[in-house]
Amino acid sequence: MENKGILSLLTENLQVFLQYTGFANATLGHIVMILLGLLFIYLAIKKDWEPLLLIPIGFGMLVGNIPLFEGLQIGVYEEGSVLNILYHGVQKGWYPPLIFLGIGAMTDFSSLISNPKLLLIGAAAQFGIFGAYAIALLVGFGPTEAGAIGIIGGADGPTAIFLASRLAPDLLGAIAVSAYSYMALVPVIQPPIMRLLTTNKERLIKMKATRAVSQTEKKLFPIIGFLLTAFIVPTGIPLLGMLFFGNLLKESGVTRRLAETARGPLIDVVTILIGLTVGCSTQADKFLQLTSIYIFIIGAGSFIIATTTGVLFVKLFNTVLKDDNKINPLIGNSGVSAVPDAARVSHTIGLEYDNKNFLLMHAMGPNVAGVIGSAVAAGILLGFLT
Amino acid sequence: METFHYKQTANKMKKIKYNILVLLGFLVLASNVTAQNMSDMCINEFLVTNTDDFVNDFGHRTGWVELFNTSYGTVNIGGCYITNDPNNLTKYVIQRGDELTKIKPRQHILFWADGEPHRGTFHLNFTLKESKEIILVSSDGKTIIDRVEIPHDLLSENVSYGRIKDGVTVMATKENQDVESTWAILDKTSPSTNNYGLDQVQPGVALKKVDPYGVIMAITAMSVVFLSLILLYFVFKGTGKYSIKKRRERAILASSDGNTQGGEHCDTPGEVYAAIATALHMHFQDDEFHDIESTILTIDKVTRNYSPWSSKIHTLRETPNRK
Repeated sequence: MENKGILSLLTENLQVFLQYTGFANATLGHIVMILLGLLFIYLAIKKDWEPLLLIPIGFGMLVGNIPLFEGLQIGVYEEGSVLNILYHGVQKGWYPPLIFLGIGAMTDFSSLISNPKLLLIGAAAQFGIFGAYAIALLVGFGPTEAGAIGIIGGADGPTAIFLASRLAPDLLGAIAVSAYSYMALVPVIQPPIMRLLTTNKERLIKMKATRAVSQTEKKLFPIIGFLLTAFIVPTGIPLLGMLFFGNLLKESGVTRRLAETARGPLIDVVTILIGLTVGCSTQADKFLQLTSIYIFIIGAGSFIIATTTGVLFVKLFNTVLKDDNKINPLIGNSGVSAVPDAARVSHTIGLEYDNKNFLLMHAMGPNVAGVIGSAVAAGILLGFLT
Repeated sequence: METFHYKQTANKMKKIKYNILVLLGFLVLASNVTAQNMSDMCINEFLVTNTDDFVNDFGHRTGWVELFNTSYGTVNIGGCYITNDPNNLTKYVIQRGDELTKIKPRQHILFWADGEPHRGTFHLNFTLKESKEIILVSSDGKTIIDRVEIPHDLLSENVSYGRIKDGVTVMATKENQDVESTWAILDKTSPSTNNYGLDQVQPGVALKKVDPYGVIMAITAMSVVFLSLILLYFVFKGTGKYSIKKRRERAILASSDGNTQGGEHCDTPGEVYAAIATALHMHFQDDEFHDIESTILTIDKVTRNYSPWSSKIHTLRETPNRK
């Protein structure tokens, strides 16, 4: 009799335990998302696609999609849980400015300072953002959601997260994953468009060597750059302020330790946290929706528009430039702010047609201008839509 | 020697005085910051006669006064005073230590003017029927943060008087001398909620109505992006030209110096000077040993300890390998 009591108690306990396991709570959505996470990890390890981003995001997808018995304060959306506390940096938008601080501290703006007209290519490529905004409106998204989706076209993960957290927090996971996925796919998406839009003659244009930039100019750039852009778009201050501040730390020459921390340990720590928590936020019930598919399609469109407008703008610009000042349109794609991937693509494609035409340093100009441009565009969207 | 010692002591005294002044400056600023916090509060709406309006926690209908935090930071009003008597500014003290006296950004707080302060922090010790004005006083008991006269003749039962826009004071201008336009009899009472903007359309929604396809947005925003970057272009075009001009001047100066010093150095090729200058430049430069070249010439020690943080094989965003 006593034995029977113990057995039934054990069975009951086991049944309760089973209720808490992932197996009991698993849905098809969870399995799909786990497979997607595994795909990200595979692409990062096997194909070397943005491993520093795809590994944390991919593993975050696994963490966020373990089926949970709700109420245990474990899930990323359960207030007070460890993951939820870490996710605050994404939700409240304070991870992206920290990443921008690091980007500023590791970016050399010399190529842009030596040839400032390349700034305009960085501006032209921002058409991707507003093109995607228009498409999203047509698809039926609300204006704030359309703005958040449009920013994917800036090809800047932190900016996309920053803006989505402000304009459309519900779509944050899909927007962030989409932005980072397409950033990883820059070497796949951009080359066909660049080849399609340029002639053989244009691809062979050799640009003038960049001049050496003085240290004073490098020091002045972040100060003047910040003051000008922030006065025009104050809503972009969190991103622009941190970007230029990081660059001043680098160029001032007297804050070496701070610059090294910003571009080293700090950006690495924040990249780990932002990647993992963005991955976690793709919980199947929140992520697997029709809107996510739309976001991925519009995101792809925004990258195509950005690349197209960048290349076409250079071709247009060349019509007013003197022969010795012409720009190789293959650097037009670099106007998106995927640094330095887009510039590398320009360089690689340039070498395919002329193995002595080194475009990397020239392409870095519009590439870093794209970072500034997308931060300004984010500020504008924030100002207009809230 | 003594004069020197005296001068040193005088200099030290000057420094100490300067430091004390700076410290005092900071203290004054700090006190202003606290005061500024409270000054972000204002009287926003009040109801004198309540016969058919909201009831308080005790089930009674009484008049009320609503305060509003105009700032985007939390303000603690604990220790401030509310009074209806200009000769007694400390008539009712708002209890310190009550969590509810911390008013969140752009939020309201309601005080019941029932003359029964024993009922809690938010029950004043006077009623509005007997009052001519309401005064909000800072925690120093002297500084008036906000005051408003009660227009008894305009107010009937259950009709509240409030700011047309929450927390907004309309200042008199040459064109608009009507200062009273800040306040008005409100269409409906709105204790602890906005007086204005309840039905306000979001800017994005309003924009979509006039620009359903995002064309105006795209043109405007792209103009702003271009404007920002064109401004940067002009500034750095200018600084670049100036820098090149300066460099040329320096080069001319250096070459003319070389000519006057005689011809013995003329045999040394320019590349040697360039190499020495580059090495010295790299050596004295604190940061960034190279930004363009992958090979550098330096007289500095180049060995570095391995660290995964700076490992080149782990660099951010590598080009995917197609296999």
